[in-house]
Amino acid sequence: MPQEIEKQYKEILKQYLMKQTERNLYEGQNFSRQLIKKNIAPDEVISIHKATLEEMFPELPMNVWNSFDLLIEMMIRYGLAHAEHQSLLQQQEEMKVEMDLAAKVQRTLLKTTRPKINGLEIGLVSVPARKMNGDYIYFLSDNLNNAGVAVADVIGKGIPAALCMSMIKYGMDSLQDVATDPKKVLDVINRIVEKSVNDDMFISMFYGRYNVENSLFTYATAGHEPALFYNAQNDEFTELHAKGLLLGVVANVSYEQHAVTMEAGDFVVMMTDGVTECRTDEGFIDPKIVITLIHSMRHEPAQTIVDSVFKELEKMQNFELRDDFTLVIFKKTS
Amino acid sequence: MNIQVVIKEEENLVKAFISGEIDAFTAPMLREKLATVQQKENLQTELEMSDVSYMDSTGLGVIVAFYKHVNANNGHVKLTGLSTRLKRLFDITGLGEIMDIETDDKGGNK
Amino acid sequence: MSYRSSVEILTEWDIVAARQLGRNEAKEVGFGTVDQARITTAISELARNIYLYAGKGKIEIERISEGGKYGITIIASDEGPGIPDVRKVMEDGFSTSGGLGAGMPGVKRLMDTFKIDTVVGEGTVIKATKWIR
Repeated sequence: MPQEIEKQYKEILKQYLMKQTERNLYEGQNFSRQLIKKNIAPDEVISIHKATLEEMFPELPMNVWNSFDLLIEMMIRYGLAHAEHQSLLQQQEEMKVEMDLAAKVQRTLLKTTRPKINGLEIGLVSVPARKMNGDYIYFLSDNLNNAGVAVADVIGKGIPAALCMSMIKYGMDSLQDVATDPKKVLDVINRIVEKSVNDDMFISMFYGRYNVENSLFTYATAGHEPALFYNAQNDEFTELHAKGLLLGVVANVSYEQHAVTMEAGDFVVMMTDGVTECRTDEGFIDPKIVITLIHSMRHEPAQTIVDSVFKELEKMQNFELRDDFTLVIFKKTS
Repeated sequence: MNIQVVIKEEENLVKAFISGEIDAFTAPMLREKLATVQQKENLQTELEMSDVSYMDSTGLGVIVAFYKHVNANNGHVKLTGLSTRLKRLFDITGLGEIMDIETDDKGGNK
Repeated sequence: MSYRSSVEILTEWDIVAARQLGRNEAKEVGFGTVDQARITTAISELARNIYLYAGKGKIEIERISEGGKYGITIIASDEGPGIPDVRKVMEDGFSTSGGLGAGMPGVKRLMDTFKIDTVVGEGTVIKATKWIR
């Protein structure tokens, strides 16, 4: 094969030296493509050039031949750099495949079923900034009178955040009773998280539960973005605040718990900071825009609201999410 | 994406002047700088943050880790010069309740 | 029957001497210009590592033959600190980040076979062989 390459190269060089046309150069470049495909290193290419010249013009002075040896010596490092680059590209490809698989595992692991409750609509959108999601939604429901939802945000994004997430899932799994009070839910999860995470790792979480019989939405928060409550009669939004520290900072935390009564048309918006802290190259998107957007959609079904808010904010950020984006709406319809 | 951390030690007090943005890219640098002082017993520290224009949850993580370390060694961390935006972050996360925080207007600088 | 010659590595100039020895041997065994340059580059890298990390050591060049094939084995040995994590030094991208040039993966690529023996606190022996194609 090396002889074959030398022969082809000789032909190309001969043609070029004779005519020096653009077409000759084009052919030379196409030939180099073939050489790269065959993994011929640059030092080898120069050696082929030298050998071809020796054959065509044996009378050239010694200085010319010697100069090629210096060039070959120098090109060896370029060849090595190229080979290393190729191998890194391949490794990257392998990692990508692994990441895709991991993301799939995560999706299966973190699957949660949307509750079906009479008179309550649930809208949900959760989109990771990268492959793995650092936001987490968990529904807990008896599909009769109670619908609970946990909205959690692990610090950071990507793989470390995703790994942390399974911890919350198993914590929530252990609580199968939907009657558990939100403040108790946070207390249980906090103890699990506090024992298992690094000093600089933490999770914020909001837990809310709607009860059909008394139309009460009861909630508690562990350092999470406050949820928004929309009161249809007064046509106004209020933030649902409750005192409570992030999960994983201190072992014993007492979480506050509050409740609001929901009337038909009222809804609660729960989100992560990927929604409130949308960033573009020019700076932050005013959080009031989110409220304005939701307000303009207030008569739509819960899922339509979250979908259009996401689409709108995605557009404003030039389709480049910088943080995981999660938005959940509980809307009382009757 | 820039951060500057200047640490000044005066007798019993270690003051760190932080300026710029604290995000996923710059947080490791802040962590490294703070790690150089956090091992001391009974450390009294003050993090001056009036020139911090932005901080995300990664930055918050670094501050929390530092706080935990210093507290474990019987020291004290005080944050000063927080902008309204930063103050909100500490309030929402509940950290404002457990940490010693002085906002910009109270601090008097700027 | 093998023929072995060696160069002690103590100063940076010994790296040049080891290169020279390697190139001469490679030429005499019958390697072409490109392979001569590759063997020399591998020697250069190994000698440089000895100079930088072990302080002193030696490079030996052995002419070898087997079943009508001829080749060269480079043996780089030192009594330096040893390599705690061999897998890491063999990773692409590791040497580049340290600005060391080709590094171990480069040597492995330049030669046909590559073997590394290292004990932390005792030293390192690297053997790399190249055959004439």
